Amino acid sequence: MSLFTYLIILIIISIPFAAMVFLPMKWSKPVLVASFIIFILFMYGPMMTMGVLSLQGPEGSMTLPAHDLFSGHWYSQLNADSDLMAGVRDGIGKSLWISLIVAGITAILSLTLGMAFRRSFRGSGILFYAILLSLMTPGLLLSLGLSFLLYYATPYLNDVGINYHTGQAPLGFVPIIGVQAVWALPFGFLVMMSIFNRYDARAEEAARDLGASSVRTFREVTLPLVWTGVFGAGLFGFTLALNEFERTFLVSGAINTLPLELFIITSTSVLRPYVYSLGVVTILFSFLLIGLFLIVSAVAGRKKALAIDEDDGGSMNTSAMHAAPSGD
Amino acid sequence: MSDTGLVLKDVYRVFPGNVTAVSDVNLEIKNGEYVVFLGPSGCGKTTTLRMIGGHDDPSSGTITIDGELLNGVTPAKRPITTVFQHYALFPHKSVLQNVAFGLKMQGMDKAERETQAKAAIELVGLTAMMDRKPRELSGGQQQRVALGRVLVTRPKAILLDEPLGGLDRLLQLKMRVELRALQRELGITFIHVTHNQEEALSMADRIVVMGDAIVQQVGTPEKLARQPRNEFVATFMGDNNVLKGTIASASGGVIVIDTPYGKVEVEGTGNVGDESSMAIRASAVKVSTDAVPAINGIKVRLDFAEYLGDSVKLHMDLDGKPFMAKVHEERYAEIRAYEGKDITASWTREDGHLLEQ
Amino acid sequence: MVTSLSSNDHHALDEAKAEVAAAEAVEKQTLPEAPLGIMATSGPVRSPLVTLAWIAPGTIWLLLFLIAPLLMIVLVSLWERTPVGFEAFSFTGAAYGRLFETSVYTNTLRDTVIRSVIITLLCILIGYPIAFFLARCVKTVKFQIALFIVVLAPFWVAYVVRIVSWLPVLGRQGLINYFLVNVLQVVQEPVDALFYSTFAITLALIQLYVLFMVTPIFFQLATLDNASVEAARDLGATPSRVFREVIFPLSLPGVLIGCIFVFVLTMGEFATVRLIGGGTIQSVGTIVYEAYVLPDLPKAAAGATILVAVMTVGVAIMLRFSKIREVV
Repeated sequence: MSLFTYLIILIIISIPFAAMVFLPMKWSKPVLVASFIIFILFMYGPMMTMGVLSLQGPEGSMTLPAHDLFSGHWYSQLNADSDLMAGVRDGIGKSLWISLIVAGITAILSLTLGMAFRRSFRGSGILFYAILLSLMTPGLLLSLGLSFLLYYATPYLNDVGINYHTGQAPLGFVPIIGVQAVWALPFGFLVMMSIFNRYDARAEEAARDLGASSVRTFREVTLPLVWTGVFGAGLFGFTLALNEFERTFLVSGAINTLPLELFIITSTSVLRPYVYSLGVVTILFSFLLIGLFLIVSAVAGRKKALAIDEDDGGSMNTSAMHAAPSGD
Repeated sequence: MSDTGLVLKDVYRVFPGNVTAVSDVNLEIKNGEYVVFLGPSGCGKTTTLRMIGGHDDPSSGTITIDGELLNGVTPAKRPITTVFQHYALFPHKSVLQNVAFGLKMQGMDKAERETQAKAAIELVGLTAMMDRKPRELSGGQQQRVALGRVLVTRPKAILLDEPLGGLDRLLQLKMRVELRALQRELGITFIHVTHNQEEALSMADRIVVMGDAIVQQVGTPEKLARQPRNEFVATFMGDNNVLKGTIASASGGVIVIDTPYGKVEVEGTGNVGDESSMAIRASAVKVSTDAVPAINGIKVRLDFAEYLGDSVKLHMDLDGKPFMAKVHEERYAEIRAYEGKDITASWTREDGHLLEQ
Repeated sequence: MVTSLSSNDHHALDEAKAEVAAAEAVEKQTLPEAPLGIMATSGPVRSPLVTLAWIAPGTIWLLLFLIAPLLMIVLVSLWERTPVGFEAFSFTGAAYGRLFETSVYTNTLRDTVIRSVIITLLCILIGYPIAFFLARCVKTVKFQIALFIVVLAPFWVAYVVRIVSWLPVLGRQGLINYFLVNVLQVVQEPVDALFYSTFAITLALIQLYVLFMVTPIFFQLATLDNASVEAARDLGATPSRVFREVIFPLSLPGVLIGCIFVFVLTMGEFATVRLIGGGTIQSVGTIVYEAYVLPDLPKAAAGATILVAVMTVGVAIMLRFSKIREVV
């Protein structure tokens, strides 16, 4: 493509930004609404095209035009009796197990770190940045480094009687779970931080006052108050682990998770539309989980709101308070 | 251009969902006046202020300044600026840049606007801190930057939304003096919103008491303190005792109200048999161990004498209702001896004040 | 008006000022100390052992699966190569020598940096208006959250799937070519350069990482003190002045965080370049990967170390450039 084409593209991309900067809200708003819709198309368009193509018949190819839509052929192919598909199904199974474990670990680590950051301790700043560092570490580097560490450590592990061979189950799961939990940790941690920021520590003090031990206070007061956060952190762990690829890539050895299977298929074999149907299945599964999380947290939120209303005896005219935006 | 000052005529503000925030407000504020809007939270005072400043629009009614209609005029185009609650300083700009902002927006060149901004900074006494960022200043200093920022644009009126709200008590007392002195010196109209009675009494030329979305009373501090118009104002201003009953007789500009605690007389007119109420200021109540007089006197039990430094506030019990008196602090020791005992509270007819129903 | 004021009698005012200064001296003394940690902590001082117990699990996990791997990369780059791996603690600079034998690495590094910078800038251009629209044009909070979830959801779609989904859009028979040839009729032949090109990689990387720009800007704009905006309007600022003088400067920390994320993550990109570039286009990531499979682990480590160094310099420049301390 010529420089001129690039220039045109650049100008078109700049339109919403320019509108936002130079036009009053009245005029910029339609531009921003339009650019938002285009943005959504940009984000979802490829996936939707993939979705359409995944519905083709046996004649279907990887690109347009679509053949014989709504046959469901490539979905039934996922169940076919071939080595390729057996590998894929095996990958799905492993991914689900790994993700479940990562979910639990992320939840526990996020909770403990969240509890830790409610106290002041030396080096809290460094620990905070270390947690965020994992967000900013390119996956390939993390994977590379851990694979070096494993290469170096394997003989020593074997010496002390830990029968570790890189990439073989069940110990081979450890590095996979390790990097995936590191990846999910900052998300889970930030969820816990936001929960604890709104959390009223006086409930704990009251429980202690009434004679509860530390362990009991944690179990009976703290945990019930923050469990939505723990659940959210776990869900972050699950979904991010399920879709994780770059971090897992070099440390998985012979264990192929679903994203790894997908990568191998797309980079080595002749592509057929079952890749799309597989993609669609993973997308739907991820969205199902997010939906589930949103419903659970909405229900939890409503319960909390109801409890507060009852505390107030329901006498406050909340609608009136919301309607009046002034500060008085 | 006339010089009628700020006029609010039949102003209403109804929020979606039919919540009336401000109802039937009629006010005339003369140029150079220091007016305080006083009321409990949710009374409509901030909404009224926002409508004057152009941050909200009246649902009906008009707002004019010196005869010019302000309805629909953007805040930017009004000759009125606001000192926001918590000051709303620009955190990324220095004191000088904050103060010069309004002039920059008017398109004034840099040298000129800096000269004027520096003059305003000097006026509020912050010359030494010109290059600091707002977060490097104390609450009182931030307050003065906010003042400097609005003064520099030479508005006809300055609106202050709870300007002393974020300061501790000692600083509040000092800033009251400073704000008032500044306003006198500038001769600009100040409209100040607060929920603090003492603040309003100490600063205002006139106070506008708002309650339940309407203006309850407008008057000078003395007028509000001595002659609250109705029960709302009497109770909200504090240190007032309200007695209710039916009118027993009315003649010669004096009525006698029959209350459950005895007869009281008060100057005013009314129809015999009507419900009526009157207020007596706590400081007008005399306490003694004398016999209860036939009129303008009641028997009360002294619960607690509160020492206030320059006076003693007596919390008394009138058949389960509070009754208050204020006496000179010299009498503290004497009064304390009567805690838990019955005493007599009395007042003269002139100190009683008939309330509107 | 103002100029005439300063010549007036200041006596009363000066007195008041002196009193205020005294009052402020008191106020300053009672100002609470700024918390040293990340969060202000409340509650009584508790046993350091308990604090340690809360800190330990997360810290150990991070050390094992994040810090140690990153340190390992630097170490391995300085060690001798063996036929299958490396000889630990045999320090040499040979890996760097092999890396710079040809100009491939240098050229690729340059291209990668340029590509990352361009992508980062484009992400600001595209992401800012989207964040602005979500944060400041959408009126109700419910609708705002709903739209934000819609924007964010693709983040949970498997990375490989998102890359694969570009094939039916950008391919020779893809959606865009279909439009160009059959609908708009601007070209006779399908454009080959769409897939397997820098253009395609750029597009895919923007789609993958633009959310890392939108999210921090959105949070910065959504939590922006609206009173500052009102004050600016009150003082006569036009809408575009309000944006330039108040909104944009106050959103800069969000932009900066977004820039760091996008720059760092695209610098370390490997799978997108490999799958969409089809082997014809290189990035530092693909070079590192090729050295890894050779296997020349020290060379891979050297390539990764330099990558980390360049990323760190890039981030340092961004921090310096934006003078973040001044903004926040």
